[in-house]
Parts: sequence; C-alpha cells; structure tokens
Amino acid sequence: MSVSPPDITVAMRRTLFMGGSILLTATGFALLLHSYSGQPIFWPDYIVLALFPLLFGQIALGFLLALFGFYDWLRGGDPFHLLRQPWRGKEDVVLLAATAIVIPVFNEEVERVGRGIENMWHSLKKTGQLGHFDFYLCSDSNDPDHWIEEECAWLHLCQKLNAFGKIFYRKRRHAINGKSGNVADFCRRWGKRYRYMVILDADSVMSGPTMVRLVRAMEANPEVGILQTQPSMVLGQSFFRRILQFSNSIYGKIFSQGCSFVQMSSGSYWGHNAVIRIAPFIEHCDLPMLPVPDPRRRHVLSHDTVEAALMQKAGYEVWVAYDERGTYEEGPPNMSDMLKRDRRWCAGNLQHFWFLFARGIEMGNRLQIWIGLMAYLCSPIWLTFLIAGSIGAYDRARFLAFSAGPEDLGVAQSSEAPFLFIITVALLFLPRLLGIISSLPQTKRPGDCLRLFVSSLAETAASILIAPVLMLFHTCFVFQALFGWQIKWTTQNRTDLDLTLSHCLKLYGWQSGLGMTGQILAWSYLGFNSFWLTPIFVAWILAPLTAWITSWRGLGQTLRACGFFVIPEESQLPAELDGLAGDGEDEARPGAPLWPQALLSPYVQAVHLSMVRQRSSLRRTAKPASSLAHLRERLIRHGAASLERKDILRLLGDAETVFWLHRELWSRPDTGLHSSWQFLQSSSGTNLLLRQYLLTEEKSAHI
Amino acid sequence: MNSFLVQTTGHDPAAWNQAHDRVRDFLNAFVPGDHAQVSRLTLQLLDQAREQHRRDPSVPPVSLAVAQAQKLVAEWLVSNLNLEDQPPSRLFASGYVAVLLSQAFRTAPETFLVSPLPANLKESMRETLLITGPDLKISSMTPRHIDYGPMLDLAQRTWHCWNAREITVALLFWSCVYFVFYWWLSGTL
Repeated sequence: MSVSPPDITVAMRRTLFMGGSILLTATGFALLLHSYSGQPIFWPDYIVLALFPLLFGQIALGFLLALFGFYDWLRGGDPFHLLRQPWRGKEDVVLLAATAIVIPVFNEEVERVGRGIENMWHSLKKTGQLGHFDFYLCSDSNDPDHWIEEECAWLHLCQKLNAFGKIFYRKRRHAINGKSGNVADFCRRWGKRYRYMVILDADSVMSGPTMVRLVRAMEANPEVGILQTQPSMVLGQSFFRRILQFSNSIYGKIFSQGCSFVQMSSGSYWGHNAVIRIAPFIEHCDLPMLPVPDPRRRHVLSHDTVEAALMQKAGYEVWVAYDERGTYEEGPPNMSDMLKRDRRWCAGNLQHFWFLFARGIEMGNRLQIWIGLMAYLCSPIWLTFLIAGSIGAYDRARFLAFSAGPEDLGVAQSSEAPFLFIITVALLFLPRLLGIISSLPQTKRPGDCLRLFVSSLAETAASILIAPVLMLFHTCFVFQALFGWQIKWTTQNRTDLDLTLSHCLKLYGWQSGLGMTGQILAWSYLGFNSFWLTPIFVAWILAPLTAWITSWRGLGQTLRACGFFVIPEESQLPAELDGLAGDGEDEARPGAPLWPQALLSPYVQAVHLSMVRQRSSLRRTAKPASSLAHLRERLIRHGAASLERKDILRLLGDAETVFWLHRELWSRPDTGLHSSWQFLQSSSGTNLLLRQYLLTEEKSAHI
Repeated sequence: MNSFLVQTTGHDPAAWNQAHDRVRDFLNAFVPGDHAQVSRLTLQLLDQAREQHRRDPSVPPVSLAVAQAQKLVAEWLVSNLNLEDQPPSRLFASGYVAVLLSQAFRTAPETFLVSPLPANLKESMRETLLITGPDLKISSMTPRHIDYGPMLDLAQRTWHCWNAREITVALLFWSCVYFVFYWWLSGTL
C-alpha cells in the first residue's frame, strides 16, 4: 500500500508556494525601487537593494506558509496526508512491531526524566500495548553526580514499575558526536532488536495512544521512514516560557500545517518526538563528515535535518503529523537559556549549507535547509540592512541640504514607500491574525476570546522587544560559527529559575549601551527620519530589563491565574504531564557531591558495578595503570575536590578501581584519608541517593 | 587502665575508638533496621580484630576491624546466596543488589548478617536478578558517501589551489556583477 501523494499535487503546491514567494518578493522589490524614484542614490543604497530581496523573501515565505496552513485548517486538514489515508479505517487491526523509546540524556534533571518515563509507561499500559515497547535511557552525562544518580533512578524506576527487562539504562564510555552519536550507538548495539524507535528529548513526553497510533501508521505504510509530530510546548512557569508556549500553541500549528502542505512526504524531522524506521536509519542515516579542513569541525552538529534528507535520499518518506495531540516538550525558561540553545542551533544550521547543493537531496529538504540557514543568516543581513539604510538616509539628507537642485528633489513622487511599509507589516502580522482565528474554537469560557486577543497583543509586543536583541546575538553566533569557535552539546536548563538582575546587566548591558549610542547618533544625524529605528534602539536599551522581567516565575504564574497566555493543555492537564512541573526552588541539588557514594555505600556501589561494563578490569590481577593508581591515591589522600571531572569519570568507569576504592576508603585509618571522607562515611547510610531512590517504601519487584 | 590497653593492643584507645566508629558506620551503610544488632556486631568484630592485632600489631586496628566486617559480609553472602567461586567484586556487587532488591534488612531487620537466614528470605534474595541491558545485536552503521556537489568542488579548489588566478577571476566576476547591477539601476531610476 502506498500513500505517496500524487506527483501533480506535490508539484502544484510547491509551484504555488515558490511562485507566490517570488511574486511577493518581486512586488516588494519593485516597490522599493520605485520608492527611490527622483532621489539620489548612494553606495549604501545598493547594499539595501541587494539585501532587501533576501529579507523580504523570508517574510514572504513565512506569510505563505501561514496562509497555506490556515487554508488547510479551514478545509479540515489535508486529504493527502499520511494520517488521513484509508488505512485509518482499519487502524485497530494493524499489529504493532517491537519499538524502542530512546531517551538520550546529558546531565539532565534525573528526577524529571524519571517521572516522564513513568507517565509514559502508565499511559502505554492503559493502551494494552506496553509489551511492544521498551525504554532506553541513553546517557552521555559527563557529570559524575548525574551519572550515579541516573543509575540509582533507573533501578528505582524498574523496581517501582516492575520494569526489569523493559526499561534499560546505558552510559556511553566515550560520548562522541553528541546526541546523534548517542542515538547511533543505540542503533549499533540494539537497533536490530526493534523495527521502530521513538526518539525523545529529556524533556519530551508522548502519550501512549499517540505512540501506538504513530507506530501503526508506520507499520501500515512501509515507505515511511520518519514520522515527526508537532510537540506542544508545555509546563512553562516563567513569563518567557509562557510566552513561548502560547506562541507555539497559537501560531506554531498553522505554520507546521503550512509546511506540511508544501512539503508533504518530504517533511521535516526535528530530532525528537518522532518515530523512526530503524533499519533504513541504520543503513542510510549515519551522518557523513563535512568536507572541511579542520577535523574538529567535521561532525554535523544539528543532525535532524540531515537525517531527514538522507532518509528521503534513500527513497523513504518523511511526514509531519502536525495535528497529533499527546506529544509534548518544554521550552527554554528564559532568554539566556534560549540564546545558549540558539548558539548551538545556529552553528548546526550553518553547517547545513554543505547539503544545500549536495546531489540526490530532495527539493523539499533543500527548502528546509534554506529556511534553517536563513533563520540565523537573516540577523546579520538585517543588521547590515539597517546600518546601510541609515547611512544611505544620512547621505541623502546631507546631499539635499547642500544641493542646488529643484525644490522637489528628494521628495518621493509616489506613495510606494508607505505602501511597501504597509505590505511588510501586513505580511508580518497577518500570520498572527490567522493563528488567533484558528485558535478561536479552543476558547470555551466567556471572556476567553478577549483574553486570547490581549495575550496575543502582549506576545506581539514582547516579540517586538525581543527580536532586535536576538538579532544582535544571532549575528555574533553566525560569526562565531563562521570563524570556527567550537560549539558543544550543552545541557539545556529546563528549570524556571528567575535570572538575577546582575546577570542580565552583564549579559545584555552592552546592548543597552549600543542602543543609547545608536539613538543619540540617529537623532543627531537623521532627526525625525530616524523614527523607524526607534523600536530597535528601545529594544536594545531595554534588553537587560526585558531578559530579567521575562524570567520571572511569579509574573508568569500571576498571568496564568488571570487567564492570560493559557494553552489548551493547561485547561485540562493531560495525565502524561502529571507531576512533571518542577517548582524550581526544590530542585536545587544538595551541596555535597553524590558520586562518592558509589565508592562508599554498598548499595550504590553494587548498582554502579552492575552497570559499568564488566570488562577485563575485573579479572585483572595485575596492577592498574600507573596514572590510575596515582589518581586513586590522590582521591583517598586529598579528597574528591583534588580531582578533575575527567579523572573522576575515569575512576568511576573502571570497575576494579571502584571496588578497590570501596575497600580502601573503609579500611584505611583516618591518618591516611582526607578529612572529607570521614563525614561521607558517617552519612553513607542516610545519603540522598538511598533516601530518594534505593530504599523507598514501594514494594520491590523481582524478575 | 589506659596503659594496660596500650600494652595489650599496641595502640592507644583513640585508634580503637576510630575502629569502632568505622565499623559501626560501615555496618550502618547497609541501612539495617536493627540498631542493637549493629552494636552487637560492632563489638564482636572489634574483639576479633583485637585478637588479630595481638598476633600482628603492625596492622592498624581500623584496617583489621573493617577487614573482619568485610569478611563477615562476604561469608554471609556466600552462604545465603549460592555465590561461591565468584571473584570478590562480583560477589559483593551481586550480593548487595540481591539484598537491596529483596529489601531483606528492612523487612526482617533482625536477620542483618545473621546466618542461617529464614528459608523464605533466602529464596527471595536468590530470586532477584538485575537486568541491566538486553543482549547486544550489533549492527554496522557507517556513513554513506555523499556527493556535496558544486560547492565542494568550489571549496576544494579554493582551499587547495588558492592562487592569483582564482583571485583575479573572482574579482573580475564580481566586478562585472556589480557593474551590471549599477548600470541597470542607474538606467532604471
């Protein structure tokens, strides 16, 4: 059975989309050219003219995607979509295949990840299809505390859910190639055991019925390689996260519906909340090295888009299930964390340039790569456009002031300039209006419409303040990426903790200075003509305040209590999200490190030894490598603080060393031990890991 | 009294206090429910350590006492869990996991390191099995060749053949583009 959409439909939609984009851009460009009629042209104007199509083209693309999405929403969905095909009629008889739910983690909040797994477990259990699913917690954590806590949490989870043999934990010894390397490692070790894998992020949750339906969709349509869902952003408490999740809820859907309308079977993959057919993924989707001279920059950082392109290159389809409910993720809690994430994404997206012209890549993927590239390249282009435009306006004003030309020289002869402005604003804001209209059916209580409208206005105001700030940062990120400053996979902070004002001043203060300087210069040289730059300067000046205020949890919660920025998932919390909202303050980790308990506590040590690969080290009777022996002694005599993180990881990764240290730490006299061990010894029976995970009251289960 | 102790043990009482505290902490690390049993065992192990110390005064009391404790635990695990012929690290890892999963010391605190164990408890501990990961089914996942197309050709030439000719051609090309653009705009406006 094939669900591939008819070629003519695909061609028509793409032609309509590309044609519409070109037409809109050409119209904008023509209006811009005419707005220069009768005016002197200076060198910065050529820069403006050169950059304008790129920027306006992006606006046109966004507008058209929203328009198509809205059209698709109005007609009740795409009849050619994978999830609207005849197989749905006999969906319940489609048998499930073995599926792994793979959760790559990297120094994540362990308790939150565990709760997420537990909720998904219960949700799958209710469907009666739990037997087809196994969970894999694939850790790349390089923080010893996280590593040991993950092991204990895994055991706790298995005990609590009676899930031995269903939930697995794996820690990579050499965490190379980030998340894609982590997933590839899973595929190499256990990929053959499963037909599908559901890829999740540490903060992702999917409901059981959704996972079952998606796996059935894959099983019924063997030509589908990846089925991506559109996760709802949830559980936000800070004002910033609530803005993000509100905007995702209102506008995100019509944009992704529009994307799906255009891309159809060559859709996007975002790296999580998706189902993947493992065999072709293993065969075709290992990431190639980039053809750059520096070996450190050859690894593809942002793997998802490339994997989707490779999957389609191999002849498989990639679909976006944009209207599937029961798929969730969390957003960054504040602007600083979003910037951290953007820095990584920027470097990854820029690398995709290599695939833009690679042979065998589908047109839909090239479009996706282009949109991803421009998402970040637009920032330096916009900045250059603004600078060139300002210098051009200044040159023109100076020329007119000193010229002896006719009096009407320099006065626009037509109404093109205001018309262009109106069109630009319309293209920018109409998608928002369409998003609001498509969200109206979700309003249930009286007053909800008004609150939705007010929230949208506030979100738009916040976007106007945040966009120029991001522009400057993204410009820096683009240059950082281009000049080869290495970007690493870092842990995303998902805790809604308020930023401090001093942090905001330190990180965003330079923008305030730049904004004030710019505003003064603009007023001095351009006078009233600089009014169009004012929103940007104001946003820069207010950047520290914006970052600080938007990180407030209290503000977010108050607005939620008043019914603003509320998303459908908050009106009735899905069972899969129950207990996942952290309360921030309680999540602070204790001051004492947890990992020494893997050397002291018999239980924590036993769990750790069971997990560490039982390599030859256990059978080894010879002395350990001298460097390892030196580290052991140093740890005992000078305490944990004397070792670097990589040394601790090395010690913990060697089973024989862990066992030896356990014996030595207990049996050496105080004179041979660092003083910190005495406290750890006396508190070994009451430490956090034991209390929280290993010795809870839940009934243990045996297999 | 103190001088008597120093004479009989070869160490001052502080060393034995330290040994006492260490053995107590070591046993408490198992989180036993019966504190009296811990105290009894601690004193019993200290007595054994003293005996040994008389024979070999060069070993510090702490080391002797903890070694006695570890020996007791090992013997208890071997006798109750059928874990003979295991290297010590495996014996302790498997044994501790069995104790942890069965929660033996919580459900029956009086059995802490006591042999023989009641049959049902012994059975429950022997049944525990920690499944850490399924058997590997190794696949080969290697990147396929990808043709990066014209951009790679261009880049390769730039990186590997950077010379005056390329620079001149590039400058000439962009000058032409700029000139055409300028001419066109000047004519249009």
